[in-house]
Amino acid sequence: MASDSESNNDGGGLFEGYQPLAGAFDEFCAMDGSPRPEAVRVVERLDDLGRRAFMERQRLADGSFLKAGVTFSVYSDRGGVERIFPFDLVPRIVDGAAWDRLEAGLIQRVTALNLFLQDMYGEQRILAEGKVPREIALGSSGYLEAMHGIQPPHGVYIHVCGVDLVRDPNGEFLVLEDNARSPSGVSYVLENRTMMKRILPRVFSESRVRSVDAYPARLLSAFNELAPEPRERPRVVVLSPGPFNSAYFEHSFLARRMGCDLVLPDDLFVHDDEVFVKTTHGPTRVDVIYRRIDDAFLDPEVFRPDSMLGVRGLIRAYRAGNVTIANAFGNGVCDDKAIYPYVPEMIRFYMSEEPIVQQVPTLICAEQDALEQVLADLGNYVVKAVDASGGYGMLVGPTSTKEQIEEFRARLKENPRGYIAQPLIELSTCPTWTSSGLSPRRVDLRPYVITGRETWVLPGGLTRVALREGSYVVNSSQGGGSKDTWVLEPDSQEDSP
Amino acid sequence: MISRQAECCFWMHRQVERAENAARLLAVNRSFILDVAQPEAQQWWPIVVVTGEQERIRTVLGDDAATQGDAIQDYLTWNPDNPVSIYSSIRWARENARTVREVISLEMWETINGFWHWLTRGQGRRLYNEDVDAFYRRVRDLGSTFSGTCHNTMLHEDPFDFMRLGMLLERAGWTARILDVKHHMLGPMEDNGPASPLESAHAMALLRSCSATEPFFKQVQHAPTPRVVVGFLLFAGNFPRSLLHCLDRAMNFLRRVRPESGRTGARSMALLGDLLDDTNSLSLETVFERGLHTELTRIIDSIAKVCDAVSADYFHPDIGQLTAGGQQTQSQSQG
Repeated sequence: MASDSESNNDGGGLFEGYQPLAGAFDEFCAMDGSPRPEAVRVVERLDDLGRRAFMERQRLADGSFLKAGVTFSVYSDRGGVERIFPFDLVPRIVDGAAWDRLEAGLIQRVTALNLFLQDMYGEQRILAEGKVPREIALGSSGYLEAMHGIQPPHGVYIHVCGVDLVRDPNGEFLVLEDNARSPSGVSYVLENRTMMKRILPRVFSESRVRSVDAYPARLLSAFNELAPEPRERPRVVVLSPGPFNSAYFEHSFLARRMGCDLVLPDDLFVHDDEVFVKTTHGPTRVDVIYRRIDDAFLDPEVFRPDSMLGVRGLIRAYRAGNVTIANAFGNGVCDDKAIYPYVPEMIRFYMSEEPIVQQVPTLICAEQDALEQVLADLGNYVVKAVDASGGYGMLVGPTSTKEQIEEFRARLKENPRGYIAQPLIELSTCPTWTSSGLSPRRVDLRPYVITGRETWVLPGGLTRVALREGSYVVNSSQGGGSKDTWVLEPDSQEDSP
Repeated sequence: MISRQAECCFWMHRQVERAENAARLLAVNRSFILDVAQPEAQQWWPIVVVTGEQERIRTVLGDDAATQGDAIQDYLTWNPDNPVSIYSSIRWARENARTVREVISLEMWETINGFWHWLTRGQGRRLYNEDVDAFYRRVRDLGSTFSGTCHNTMLHEDPFDFMRLGMLLERAGWTARILDVKHHMLGPMEDNGPASPLESAHAMALLRSCSATEPFFKQVQHAPTPRVVVGFLLFAGNFPRSLLHCLDRAMNFLRRVRPESGRTGARSMALLGDLLDDTNSLSLETVFERGLHTELTRIIDSIAKVCDAVSADYFHPDIGQLTAGGQQTQSQSQG
């Protein structure tokens, strides 16, 4: 529909007067405001478009998301409200060569995390050799006694991993945290891409962007490969908590794109250690469950005897090897923020390799020295609860008030095991459309890593952007938006052999 | 298909049908009361009776609810606490569609989602305030668009069949209830002579309430006396809103969703089969002998029983029984 083919420099060039933020790495521009080599082409195309046409297209995109129902729910006192995830039309770009290195690092990291889980629910060699402190690992709220002795098909625990990355002022990608339980957001990656192709076809087609279309097929292949026993056509279902869940759109989207059924806990039941779904033709056996429900609500037999939620007997069926559950139970022990500092050690221990991608230096408040160091200088740290996510339960010292800092000090003293502290990383910025034209806003990046018989990384991932000026918090629940992430192939002269 | 999804499909299309019928009935009544001088309290109350909302509306509008025409229309159109208001029907249709978004086509989803946003983000309310007839027209158009989109974009298999089943049972119920409410205004049915002007007006309104005016004249070529109109709305098998047509088509879809073997679906099939046979063998004479109201009440109750049986057979199956019956299970008990 939208044609951006003619140059229509109405209202001035988009990048005119764009000023990067001092002290942060800008994804598009060097400090003097000139575009980075990989950004030149995109900047030219967007400049050609002009401000007025750009604004018109932004409006079109917002309307389309609403019409298509690409929304998430925000919880408030008055119940769920549907909103679109604010979408910024300026893409985030990643140079192809930098991406290749990152991809190798992500595969390495997820492999190590998976080996760690195998070990934790097996021999626990890494604890025996003192590479990870026993009390931190076994004390993690994500550690699940019931997983001991269960061998998931092909030893895969983390079928889908979302690794949150940030970029420091030198442009170095750093891992900020791992999401090995049920990372969300990939539907926005695919929807954002569809939108960009429709709204800015010319900018897109001239930029040689790596495709993200393969994701659903890759995911389904991984599930098929890991079905309990060779089945001609394993029955795969997506298990969602239901339409009131904030990520329901995504659950439904993935089911649709994989061509499998979306089920809620009540649709499933266990009989003789096998899992069945209730259909209009009677019960039908289920082979693989891609679950988007937290451990605690999966099986009342094991987790919460008082809970009405979940599928009674699911863990028994899992233990009997009759169903594959993705991601596995008990993964919370590997993405616990207090375990995170030991991931580089895991890579060395299990793989005898050095980490390819670095991570943020982290102080574990459970350790007395570290706690004192943090308390002495609380205003300069970012403090996070080890078992929280979504931007909740954290203190960003440098942008907080005295009262907030003091309140957090009390919480920290009361439960040091519950927190870690990191220096504030000056997150990289990306040009983002605001009421006063393009302005630098901070971004992070969540690539998605799928593991079946082998491990595959979706090129790009979800770029989240802190839309409020000066903000470091990119979560959708807290004023964040998203961008399409473009991994760019090198220019064509390098194509020929 | 998964039982819960079947239930959502059934209700989704049913709720759109409900909104469409409510809109048509409200619009027809607006024009009817302009044509026919009636006491205020009788202008809008019959419409409330069709929707079964007599009790609740009195608690909202007070004991003199019947005389508040505008408030009644507003209540039947917009009130979120009225479970059968147009607003509620669209809301639940859309919520069901969202829940089974992966089952329905993109086009169906965009139709109902777009309409919901139109209704709730200002435009719908503005049109209602400016031109209420045009507003009801939009709701009726939604019904047609949704139904056509469903027919043209879905695979014609289980999900589609359950949608059609829900839509047809809902429609059959509306035709019966509209007839029932109007019957006592229609005058003596035994009389085959020419109708009084008032009777004619009621008969015409009845036809319009079921979008039946033009089909009626095409087929019957007879002045619309109450008796002939009732016969048409009950028994014209080729008219898509007649009771017989709806039941016959519903039977077709119920047959399609039933598994080829086993007991599943036996009860709903038997109930609908009986109702269809009864209706087929019924003559207009018998209907009037037994009393139109009595017959319609029996039919309305039977439709409700069919819906309950469909729910028990397909949407909320008894797991214990099913696992013992063991079709498609590979449990050890089967040996």
